[in-house]
Amino acid sequence: MKNIVIGRYIPGNTFLYKMDPRTKIIALIILMVSVFIIRSFTFMLGSLGIIIIVLLIGKISVKRVYLGLRPLMFLLIFTFVFQILFNTQGELLIERTLYYTLYTIPITILIITFWIFTKRYIRFKLLYFLLVLTSIVYVLTTLDLGYTIGQGELSIYSQGVEMAFFIMIRLIIIVTLSTILTLTTKPTDLNLGLESVLKPLKIFRVNTEEIAMILAISLRYIPTLLDEANKIMLAQASRGVDFSEGKLKDKVMQIVSLLVPMFIISFKRSDDLANAMEARSFVPGRPRTRLQVLKWTRLDTITLGITFIALITSISLRIFL
Amino acid sequence: MNSIEIKDVSFQYQSNTPVLQDINLTIKKGEWVTILGHNGSGKSTLSKLIIGLLKAKTGQILVNGIELNPETVQDIRQKVGIVFQNPDNQFVGVTVRDDIAFGLENLQVPREDMVERIEKYAKKVNMSDFLNKEPHALSGGQKQRVAIAGILAMNTDIIIFDEATSMLDPKGRNMVLDTMKQLRSEGKTIITITHTMKEALLSDRIVVLKQGRILKVGNSKDILKDKETLEKSNLEMLLPLRILYDLEQTNYSNERIKNLLWELSLSV
Repeated sequence: MKNIVIGRYIPGNTFLYKMDPRTKIIALIILMVSVFIIRSFTFMLGSLGIIIIVLLIGKISVKRVYLGLRPLMFLLIFTFVFQILFNTQGELLIERTLYYTLYTIPITILIITFWIFTKRYIRFKLLYFLLVLTSIVYVLTTLDLGYTIGQGELSIYSQGVEMAFFIMIRLIIIVTLSTILTLTTKPTDLNLGLESVLKPLKIFRVNTEEIAMILAISLRYIPTLLDEANKIMLAQASRGVDFSEGKLKDKVMQIVSLLVPMFIISFKRSDDLANAMEARSFVPGRPRTRLQVLKWTRLDTITLGITFIALITSISLRIFL
Repeated sequence: MNSIEIKDVSFQYQSNTPVLQDINLTIKKGEWVTILGHNGSGKSTLSKLIIGLLKAKTGQILVNGIELNPETVQDIRQKVGIVFQNPDNQFVGVTVRDDIAFGLENLQVPREDMVERIEKYAKKVNMSDFLNKEPHALSGGQKQRVAIAGILAMNTDIIIFDEATSMLDPKGRNMVLDTMKQLRSEGKTIITITHTMKEALLSDRIVVLKQGRILKVGNSKDILKDKETLEKSNLEMLLPLRILYDLEQTNYSNERIKNLLWELSLSV
């Protein structure tokens, strides 16, 4: 639990590190909007290419980005499969009949149970899942022995395949962009950047300094609380709670046995912290000076210029094509 | 000149038994006072009252001659710094540098001045090499010294150590105690709140609290030998001092042995 890598700053010295955090945040927002505006598959693929080039020049290891993507794997696969199966636009590519017979149904159930019990031993879970899925489809489409209970249809349309890849690439781009931001920006800088980007919200009487303070403190306390969670899990394990095994009901109880002490400890901590902050003359809402200052360089102007061009291009592509 | 004057102060949380009752205490400038008491004797509450984190029910608190009230509380917090028990729960910044800067940012110190002061006080507590380190890369003793630097940078005259060494290992405790000695030699007023005898030994005066009342005030040497008072307030005597006490009861007169026992207690 301690080696959570997603979104953790990794020191480096490429142009991505030299950029002002404000630039990175604004660029991230603009690029995300552009990616949502693009409708053409080829341009989406092109954007992915550009981002990969940025990753290479910025010397960011693809493995880190992949680790950032991993928690979203389920969502990615789900939307992919959903699009392929249920999108009925465009040309019909494949049409097969699915046979639900007295043979195929037990075989399918068998494959699924086999998958559930063996998946924890397999390293490449994703590939294994795809293998299982294809074998189920294969069984259902080819075996038409025995008494047929029902029939279904598997039809895949060109638009479905295209949309499936399109949405997957879009999600990958968005996650990659935000991973780049968090990998190359120190938490303090990120926080300062966020604060000044949010400043316009002051017109609506949003206290941006307080939001920034809250964010800074949460960033500061994530490692401390993770340590705490680890300690509690060890303490509970020594009392016989097993966090890796058990039925759903047991799992809920295990989580409760972790959460309740975590809550109590966090409240105690925040009480102490509030006292310490007040004792050091912190008054919410009172102006403060800053130790860290952000520096705007030419690199930032150029980067923002490029992202604006990307935005305008994607809008005009949407309108004229 | 008096640093802190506490006059007839009582405090209680809502509808509970009083935590502090009729506290009268004057602390001179440059003095090192220990507030000694077992758990629940109200010693931490007293420190929170001095800095205005809690409000006394009755009585008056003067810091550097200024009465503590809602209007003056911010001025007083610039004069009094407090190092709390848990090193993790008072580390506000993401790095050592940010944490020392936190108080200065609150006081709206200009940036150039801030950088200068951070360097100066980090050096004073021997943390210059750690300025860019994050808290989880530091030991407890180092974190407490960062907290001290953060307070010193705010130019406080009075520093309260609220059980600041109780969560540290012996090495960390000695590091913090050394810093305390150094601060005393520079003329800062120090108040240590503790239940360990070792810290009490270093101070000039000891205030023994029991169930919210002052049991006894006196010179450190006298109080630490005072078996009755210490026993009454559930505090354990240092072994050499206990021997000293017992010897004195039997009219033992070898001064050399007595001095030796006193020296021994200092090195425990």
